Amino acid sequence: MDNLGLQVERVTKRFGSGDTEVVAVRDVSLVVNPGEVVLIMGPSGSGKTTLLLMLGALLKPTEGSITLDGLELSAMSERKLPDVRLRHFGFIFQDFNLLSALNVLDNVAFPAELTGVSRRTAREKATAVLTELGLGHRLRFPPDKLSGGEKQRVAIARALINDPTLILADEPTANLDSSHGHETMRLLREITQKRSRSVVIVSHDARIKDIADRVLWLEDGQFMKAIEMATDPICGMAVEREGAVAGVREGETYYFCAKGCRDEFLAS
Amino acid sequence: MTASPVFAPFRAVASAVRLAFRNLLQDRLRFALSVVGVGLSLMLILFLIGLRAGALRSAVVYLDNAPGSVGVFPPGTKSTSAGSAQFLAPETASAVASTPGVARVTPILLTLGLADLHGKKEVIKLIGYDAALGGGPWSLKQGREPVADDEVVLDRVLAGRHGLRVGDTFEIGGRRPTIVGLSSETSSWTGSYVFALRTFVEAVVLAPGGASFLLVTPEPGTRISELSARLQTLEGANVVLKGEVMANDREAVAGIFDRVLLLMVGAAFIVGALVVGMVIYTATNERRAEYGILKAIGAPGGVLYRVVASQAVVAASIGAVLGVGFAYGMGWLVMAARPQFMVIIEPTSIAVALAAGFVMALAGALFPARAVARLEPAEVFRR
Repeated sequence: MDNLGLQVERVTKRFGSGDTEVVAVRDVSLVVNPGEVVLIMGPSGSGKTTLLLMLGALLKPTEGSITLDGLELSAMSERKLPDVRLRHFGFIFQDFNLLSALNVLDNVAFPAELTGVSRRTAREKATAVLTELGLGHRLRFPPDKLSGGEKQRVAIARALINDPTLILADEPTANLDSSHGHETMRLLREITQKRSRSVVIVSHDARIKDIADRVLWLEDGQFMKAIEMATDPICGMAVEREGAVAGVREGETYYFCAKGCRDEFLAS
Repeated sequence: MTASPVFAPFRAVASAVRLAFRNLLQDRLRFALSVVGVGLSLMLILFLIGLRAGALRSAVVYLDNAPGSVGVFPPGTKSTSAGSAQFLAPETASAVASTPGVARVTPILLTLGLADLHGKKEVIKLIGYDAALGGGPWSLKQGREPVADDEVVLDRVLAGRHGLRVGDTFEIGGRRPTIVGLSSETSSWTGSYVFALRTFVEAVVLAPGGASFLLVTPEPGTRISELSARLQTLEGANVVLKGEVMANDREAVAGIFDRVLLLMVGAAFIVGALVVGMVIYTATNERRAEYGILKAIGAPGGVLYRVVASQAVVAASIGAVLGVGFAYGMGWLVMAARPQFMVIIEPTSIAVALAAGFVMALAGALFPARAVARLEPAEVFRR
């Protein structure tokens, strides 16, 4: 195993001590490969957000280690972490959390400016990312004039601007209707796969399972089961490998939504 | 994307300042109110300092325009501020005049008195002088200097307040002199100047031939220090350089003014700092989530402090400039309505006010910056 991507090894997070001790995350291990999209689901209070905070270097684990591209985040000093977050992570939030005083372009350019690049370079790069996300016509708009889907696309552009290794999304579809939520996540998947960037999404929204390569179920701070996802090569539908119709061609296993698709595939 | 390490810190600062500007301008009404609040506080500071400067100037305006560079006072006296409790004998004036190196001696009889002007008592500084030796009004705006005992030159502002004109009479010290001239630059809130011949004032204070002090003009080429030393040997003479007398007069007025002034300036400063602080604190609190986002995405603490501090500095700087304008306006209004109050806004006062504005900004930004420092970036995930 090389050092690229995210590696979480036996991470535990405890809050409080003695009688008041709460174990939010218990002995969790996880590897997210470059270009992989992982969806973490689970009931409220299962430890999803705590895990996300630790993955994003916003909270230190009590035990275990978290490594991103060879950098052991869990061992780093607090002083170094902001710079790591700025350059190695992209964050997408449930409430979009755009800066209300800045227009779309400046919202996206701001994190790039924080890395020290010139304002012009930052704005050029922001324009390119926003255009790629279909917001080239909204550059000068204030955030409050955008629809929810547009706001979340601006947030995605902001998360991508510094070309991070890992994008962390916290309930990114919670404030979007189902069609916009799904469309936005598909866009996120497309753009991150093109750049070979990893994405970890924490969500209750089962409708976005199909954009993930893997779905992990977290309960009581532990991963209970991993749902491996696959795309039906005939109809393009996302299917859970477990329980899907499988077919083998030239030694490789494919997964289908129905026998019809499998038969059509094997006959082609 | 690479960043030049040399310019990187400056660019990060520029970004923070830009964000601060945008944050401030987003709510223009609040921004305008904060700027006006700071402006009014600084106006009050500048106005009070200007009033003090005017009072100090008024305290020495007579000596500044009178002849001579050395003063001879009765023993124990070294300023003109309280008028005269003792007088110099005529022999002292003669002795001074015959001292080598003395070109001219100007005897002045000064007394503080109450003039009855249309049934209203007014404090005046009555100056008795010899027309031939100088020490009279230096800026006559109307009429002439007195030539007879029952004639006076009255301060123009005082005359205007009571509707007195050249040719009118008023009562002072049981006498009723005629106004023959009106002078300018002789008004003061501690008492306006009235000029009369020394013989008139002698009769008022019952000190024939006496003088409150002598103003000595040295002969050309005479060293003032040497002349002072010679005069100091004369019996009953307290020799003080005119510059020192003026400094003493200023000090006497400052002694009355400064404690109250300091309190008022301090209060104005605190109000200004609170205005800035309140505005920046509420603006920061409203954007708590946004600052949390910035922290979460990796903005270092320094950038956030700069955003908060820049907001305060921008508001205070614009407020300070406004305050200077307000202070000039206020000074003009006060001097137009009450000419006896002189307000002098000096460049140093403006510098002090601008510095005060900057310190206000920093003081005002202190609590908001602490609030930002304590902000947990993880909070934005836990809603």
